[in-house]
Amino acid sequence: MRREHLIFLAFIAPNFFLFAVFTYYPILYSIALSFSGWNFLDPQIRFVGIENYLRLVQDGDFWRVLGNTLLYAVSVVLIAQGLAFLLALFLNRRMPAQPFFRTVAFTPHLTMTAAAALVWVLLLDPMQGPLSALYHAIGVEGIRFLTSSALALWAVIIVGIWKEVGFASIFFWAGLQGIDRDIYDAARVDGASPFAILRQITLPLMTPVIFFLMVSGFIQAMKTFDIVAVMTEGGPVYPASATYVYHLYKLAFRDFQAGYASALAVVFFVLIFGVTLLQIKLSQRWLYRGENSAQI
Amino acid sequence: MPRFNREDILSYIVLVTATLLIGLPFYWMLITALKPIQEIALYPPRWLPGEIRWQNFSEVWQAVPFGRFYLNSLFTTFSTCFLQLVFAGLMAYGFAFIPFPHKQVLFFLVLATMMIPEEMKIVPNYLLLERLGWVNTYWSLIIPPAAQGFPVFVLYMWFRTLPRDLLDAAKVDGAGHWRTFWLVVVPASRPMVIVLTLFAFVNRWNDYLWTLIVTNKTVMRTLPVGLAYFKGTQEGGDHWNLLMAAALLAILPLIILFLLLQRRIVEELPALHITSNR
Repeated sequence: MRREHLIFLAFIAPNFFLFAVFTYYPILYSIALSFSGWNFLDPQIRFVGIENYLRLVQDGDFWRVLGNTLLYAVSVVLIAQGLAFLLALFLNRRMPAQPFFRTVAFTPHLTMTAAAALVWVLLLDPMQGPLSALYHAIGVEGIRFLTSSALALWAVIIVGIWKEVGFASIFFWAGLQGIDRDIYDAARVDGASPFAILRQITLPLMTPVIFFLMVSGFIQAMKTFDIVAVMTEGGPVYPASATYVYHLYKLAFRDFQAGYASALAVVFFVLIFGVTLLQIKLSQRWLYRGENSAQI
Repeated sequence: MPRFNREDILSYIVLVTATLLIGLPFYWMLITALKPIQEIALYPPRWLPGEIRWQNFSEVWQAVPFGRFYLNSLFTTFSTCFLQLVFAGLMAYGFAFIPFPHKQVLFFLVLATMMIPEEMKIVPNYLLLERLGWVNTYWSLIIPPAAQGFPVFVLYMWFRTLPRDLLDAAKVDGAGHWRTFWLVVVPASRPMVIVLTLFAFVNRWNDYLWTLIVTNKTVMRTLPVGLAYFKGTQEGGDHWNLLMAAALLAILPLIILFLLLQRRIVEELPALHITSNR
């Protein structure tokens, strides 16, 4: 029996060692740094108590960035997933060419965000790209998304929606596939209208999937970095379009405020942790419906 | 159903419109990549290039160290995916099949890693890598992302569904855990391994933040950061045709991989997106 214990340790050793070095230790170190005023350069790390956290509460940039991030996350989840659900209802109909539609829908999710953000700079440009053709045809002056403080964040949101819609629709479609078609047929025989079928059958049965996708999509959206880094760098006037992670990156690696950035990191962890706990609860419940499910 | 009814026509209108909107950025990438430089700034823009210029795709390799970015991306992505799957497989096997006192506690520690956003660790990990002398090396691009909780969790769930007889038979044959893992469990898990590899591949290939932080020399950049760098150079900033050719070449491998494995992904998708590793 002793020997098997050693074998167990050997099997988990490579991953566990890396977790210890690159996850557990950095977490503790982050928390420690968040109580310091360190700037990457001082030979001595000076501890300042909760000063960073006090500063954070009074920091206008922090609240602005948190607001931007929540607006981004809520818009992407509601708009993209709302459209995706409608799209999924159409993807679920038995028609030829459906596999083609599904393939196209999934592609943005696989596309490198940096590359997608670059082409979107062109697409939204008022002087070149398809939107400019539209403006030209109607004869109006184009909207300057990226040079407007009010609209730059919406440019970022548009790209976020484009990345999410297709993926979410495939996910919803997979959920719809799991609903027994006999139920629909029975409802139709009973003379139920399409709207009644949607409200009384489809929505209730899809609730776990919808909840799950909303929560995981929300967490993902909270972490948005690439689109901002490539399209706006938080501009045109910082922090007009900065998101939380972009702000964290800027504070740490542009302004070299390691201590203050660590306080932001700890607050971010608490936010994400809360939402993730909720997600795990929901996903476990949802997983048990699958065939290949196992209990921990 | 041979004839179309009203609902079908409506469905096609919706689906075709959605497809056009979702596909528009790809179309624009392609036609911009094929235009000569004079056509880029035309107003209103051309929906088809007046002159198709295939040379853009060869010139992009000379404009920046694009070849180097590509090799860096390929090498680090393949290495990390390989290590990630092997390490996760071994760990999941340990938790699923080898007895150890109170191993649920250790398993909880592994699950906990999934709740920690990568973004939170960037400052301390940068400092650590700097002390190790790993900044601007392949080590920093390959090793830290190799340990992930997500594939451990998924493989653990999968292993638990494997028929018990399979493992007992291996035991009767006198196979130890090492041989059982490689000769029985891994082959029986092929579908899940393929899907997890693809997900790891997508994650690493497209990753921006980590590369941006642990490298600052141009020769060590990978494709996503390289593209942004290209835009900042004089050649990239004005030459949208070259920039779009580069973007297209960067997204191509994943799209091809997806088309090859498409059926499997769509089948496994619901079972797989248990956590937000996407």
